[in-house]
Amino acid sequence: MNLLRRRPALWAWLAAMLLGAAWAARSTYVADLSAFLPSSPSAEQRVLLEQLRHGITARVMLVGLRGGDAVQRGEASRAIAAALRAGTEFTSVSNGDHAGEPASGGELLFAHRYQLSPAVDAQRFTVDGLRDGIADTVSLLGTPGGSWIKPLLWRDPTGEMLRLAETLLPAGGPRVEAGVWVSRSQPRALLVAITRAEGSDLDGQARAIEAVHRAAAPWAARGIAVELSGAGVLGVQSRTLIQAEVERLALWDGAIVLLLLLLAFGSLKALGIAILPVASGVLAGTVAVSLGFGRVHGITLGFGTTLIGEAVDYAIYYLIQARSGAARWRQENWPTVRWGLLTSIAGFSALVFSGFGGLAQLGVFSVAGLAAAALTTRYVLTELAPDGAPGLGLRRPLGRATARLAAALPRLRWFWGGLAAAALALLLSLPSAWRGQLSHLSPVTSPALALDASLRADLGAAELGTLVAIEAADEAQALQRAEQASARLDTLVAAGLLAGYETPTRLLPSAAVQAARQAALPDAATLRARLQQAAAGGPLPAERLEPFIAEVQAQRSAKPVTRADYEGTPLASALQAQLVPGTAGRPWTVLLSLRAGPEPLPPQRLREALAGLGDTRVVEIQPELAALYARYLGEAFWQSALGALAVLLLLYAGLRDLRRLLRVVLPLAGSVVLVLAGLTLANVALGVLHLVGLLLVVAVGSNYALFFDQLARRRPGNDDGDRETQAETLASLLLANLTIVASFALLCSSSMPVMAAMGWVVAPGTLLCLLLSASWAQAPRGTGVGESGP
Amino acid sequence: MKKTLLSLLLMLASGWAVAAPAADLGSLMTLLAGVKSGEATFTEQRQVTLQDMTRVLESSGRLSFAAPDSFVRETLKPRAERLAVSGNTLTMSQGSRSRSVPLDSVPEAQVLVEAVRGTLTGNRELLDRHFTTAFSGSLDRWTLELVPREALLREQVARVTVSGRRAALTEVQVQLAGGDRSTMKITDPRAPAP
Repeated sequence: MNLLRRRPALWAWLAAMLLGAAWAARSTYVADLSAFLPSSPSAEQRVLLEQLRHGITARVMLVGLRGGDAVQRGEASRAIAAALRAGTEFTSVSNGDHAGEPASGGELLFAHRYQLSPAVDAQRFTVDGLRDGIADTVSLLGTPGGSWIKPLLWRDPTGEMLRLAETLLPAGGPRVEAGVWVSRSQPRALLVAITRAEGSDLDGQARAIEAVHRAAAPWAARGIAVELSGAGVLGVQSRTLIQAEVERLALWDGAIVLLLLLLAFGSLKALGIAILPVASGVLAGTVAVSLGFGRVHGITLGFGTTLIGEAVDYAIYYLIQARSGAARWRQENWPTVRWGLLTSIAGFSALVFSGFGGLAQLGVFSVAGLAAAALTTRYVLTELAPDGAPGLGLRRPLGRATARLAAALPRLRWFWGGLAAAALALLLSLPSAWRGQLSHLSPVTSPALALDASLRADLGAAELGTLVAIEAADEAQALQRAEQASARLDTLVAAGLLAGYETPTRLLPSAAVQAARQAALPDAATLRARLQQAAAGGPLPAERLEPFIAEVQAQRSAKPVTRADYEGTPLASALQAQLVPGTAGRPWTVLLSLRAGPEPLPPQRLREALAGLGDTRVVEIQPELAALYARYLGEAFWQSALGALAVLLLLYAGLRDLRRLLRVVLPLAGSVVLVLAGLTLANVALGVLHLVGLLLVVAVGSNYALFFDQLARRRPGNDDGDRETQAETLASLLLANLTIVASFALLCSSSMPVMAAMGWVVAPGTLLCLLLSASWAQAPRGTGVGESGP
Repeated sequence: MKKTLLSLLLMLASGWAVAAPAADLGSLMTLLAGVKSGEATFTEQRQVTLQDMTRVLESSGRLSFAAPDSFVRETLKPRAERLAVSGNTLTMSQGSRSRSVPLDSVPEAQVLVEAVRGTLTGNRELLDRHFTTAFSGSLDRWTLELVPREALLREQVARVTVSGRRAALTEVQVQLAGGDRSTMKITDPRAPAP
C-alpha cells in the first residue's frame, strides 16, 4: 500500500498495461482487403463490395493437381473430389466428372423440366412440335450422346432435359481428359470447389484449405502436388504473410533498436526502460483500435511496429536529456516533446475521420499509441530513471560527433536549399506520380496472382469484367426484372456481342413464366392423341410413351419451383451467386455475369440495350475499383491537407512568431519535396501508403525542428555545463534519428508493398528532416558555431 | 549400306513381301496428307437397341473437309442438321438452334471427330495421341482400326474403324461400348481438289 501511495503513476500505468494486454489478447485480428474499402459506397460499388464480402465469387476455390500422368491425375481428381464432397467444408465440388456428382440437382430439374425449360410453349406440344422434339432426340441415338438419353427416353422423348441442360451448362467448358477437367496449356487437372464459409471468414477458409490438403495427402506420395487459389485462399495467404512479416520486422526492428541503444547507453537497464514507451504505445494503439472498430486489421498492426520509430525517440530524448535530473527535464525538454507529440497527433487525427476503415484504424492507432508512449515517458520513465540513462556508453563521442556535424551542416544550407528548389521544380514539371492502384494495397504476391489467373484461364469462359446488377424490393420483382433484362441480353447474344450470360431465371423462372409454361401443357387425352400422330412411322411407338404423358400431367399441376427447392443441392450455390436475397433495408440483388462474345461489346452499347429497365445497372469491375481507389486517395489527400493545416496552426499557436514557424516548417516541407521528387524520379507509383508515410515524416521531423528551435532560442552562455547539455540534446536527436531510419530502412525490404512503401518514404524522409533542420537551424552560440542568424 | 541391310532384316522379320513396300500406316498417312480438301455424300445406318427392340435409323447427307482442321457433316435426311468442326470448336445446328462448344470439353465427341479428321488429313501424330491404331490391307484397300487410348472413353466408344481406297475414305464404322453401332458409307467421293 505504501508503494502504491509513493508511486501512483507507476502503478496506474502497470494496471493499464495489464488491462490492455488482456484486451489485446481477446481482440479479433483480420487481414482481408475489406478494411480498405469505403463505408459509404455508390450503388455500383455496393454491388462489388457485397460480392467481395459475401458473394459466391469470394467462396470459389480453384484447385490444380500437378505431377504424375493424365490417368493418375484423373484418379486423384476423382478421389479428392469424392473426399471433399463427403466432408463438410464445401457446398459443391466440380471436376468435370459427371458420374461422381450428386444427382439431387439433376433429379430436381428433371422432375420440373416442363416448368423450367425455355423451349416449353403451346407450339411444342402440337403434333408438329412433338414430332420435331422426338426427331431431335432420335438423332442422338446411336451416338455417344445416346447413352445419356436412352434411360430417359420413354419419360422424355422430346429431349426437354437436354434443352434445359444446354441452357444451364456454360458453352465454354474446360478440356476433359481421363474423365476430368484439365488445363489446355499445361499438365494439370482442375477442380472448382465452393466453400461453405464466406470469403471473408478467413478461419473458415483456412479450414477448407486444410481439408483439401488432407484429401490430397494420400496422393502426395504418388507425386501429385496441389495448387490452390481463389479469393479465400489469397486472403488466408495474405494473413499468413502479414503475420510472418509483422513478426519478422518486429524481431529485426527490435534487434537493431536494441543494438543502437546498447551502444549508446552501454546499460541493460537503460535498454529495458527505453522499450517501455514503445510497448505501451503499441498496446494502447491496439486496444484503441479494437475498442473503436471491434477488430484490428493486420496491416494496422504491421504499421504499429513501425511506430517504434517515433515512440523510441521519446525514450531516447528522455534518457539522454535527463542527465541533470528529471525535474529539470520536465521543465526544459518536456514542453518540446509535448509539442512534437501534439503536432504528430494533429497530423494523424485527420485520418481518424476517414470513410475507409483501414485509414481510420491507422489514425486511431497512431494517435493512441503516440499519446501513450509520450505519457509513459513523462510519468513512468521519470519515476524509474530519475537521472536519465545510468550508463555512459558511446554518448560522449556521439555527442561530440553530433556537435561537429551540427556545426558543419549550416555551411550546406544553400546546397540543401538549391536541391529542394530543384526538387520542387521537378515535381511541378513532371507528370504526377500519384497513380497507385487498389491492388497495390494487397500483399498478395505476383506468383500467387499469376497462378490464380492461369487456373481461371484453364477453366475457360472469358469473363467480360462487367456485371449487370438488378435491384428489387422482393424476390418476385427481382426475377421479373431479370427476365426482362435477359430478353434484352438475348439480342446481344444473337448479334454476337456476347457469348452468353448467367441468370438465376434459368433455375428459377418467375412464377408467371412457370405458370405460362404449365398452361401450355395439354391434358392426358389430348397429348395421347397428338402423340399417336407424331410418333407414327418413327422409331418410338406411341404406346410406349405413357410415362411421358404421366409426367406431363404431374407437372401440369405441380407447385412452382422455389428457391427453397434447391437447398441442399449443388445448384444452390450457383443460384446464390446470381440471386442475393435482400435483408432489412437492403434490396434483393440479381447479378448477371456476362461472357465475352466474338465481337467486343462497348459498355455504352450494353447500357443502351438495358435502358429503361428498373434499377438495372451495368457495373464495370475494373473502372469501379479504380474509381474506388481514386476516391480513397482523394480523401486521404484532403485529410492530409487538413492534418498539415492543423500542424501549422498548432505550431503557430505555440511559437507565436512567423519567423520561427517558418524555421520549423521549412525543413519538413523540404524533406517532403525531396522524398517525393526522388520517388517520382525512381518511377514509383505513389499511393495512399506513401501519403501516410509522409504524414509520419512530418510528425517525426517536427520533433527535430522543434528541438533545434529550442536550442537556438536558449542562447546560453559559454559555460561547459550548458555546452554539454546541448551536445547531449543533439546526440539524442541523432540517436533517435538513427533508430527510426534503421527501422524504416528495414521496411524497404518487406515483400508487402504496403510496408515497403512506408519504408521508402519514412527512412529517407526522417533523415532529411534532421539534416535540413540542422542545416537551416539558427545555430546557438553555445555550440561554438560561428554562423548565426539575427 | 548399313541402313539398307537393317531395313532388309526388318522386312524379313516382319514377314512382309518386298514387293509391297508401301503398304504401311506411314505411307497411307503420306498419301492422305496430300489431299487438302474434299467433298462427298454419305449414307449412315445406326443400329440401336431400345429395351427389347432393335431399330435401324437411316440418314444421309454431305461431308466436306479442308486441311488443316475443318470438317463439316451436313445431314439432309430425315431432317436438316449440321455438325461443323473447326480447330477446337464444335458447332451443332438443328433448325434455328445452334450451339458451339470447345471440342476437347466433350471427349466422346472428340474421339469421333479426330478419327475422321485425323485420317482425312493424314495426321498420324493426332491419331497416335488419341488411339492405338492397327493398319490392315493394302493401300488400294485399307482398313484402319482405331481404339481410344483412354480407358474411360473406351467405356463409351469401343472402336472406330475407317476404311478406304487409296486417298479416299469409303466407310466409317463406330462401335459403341453399349452395343449400338453406326456405319457411315461414303459414296461418290469426288476427285481431290488440287
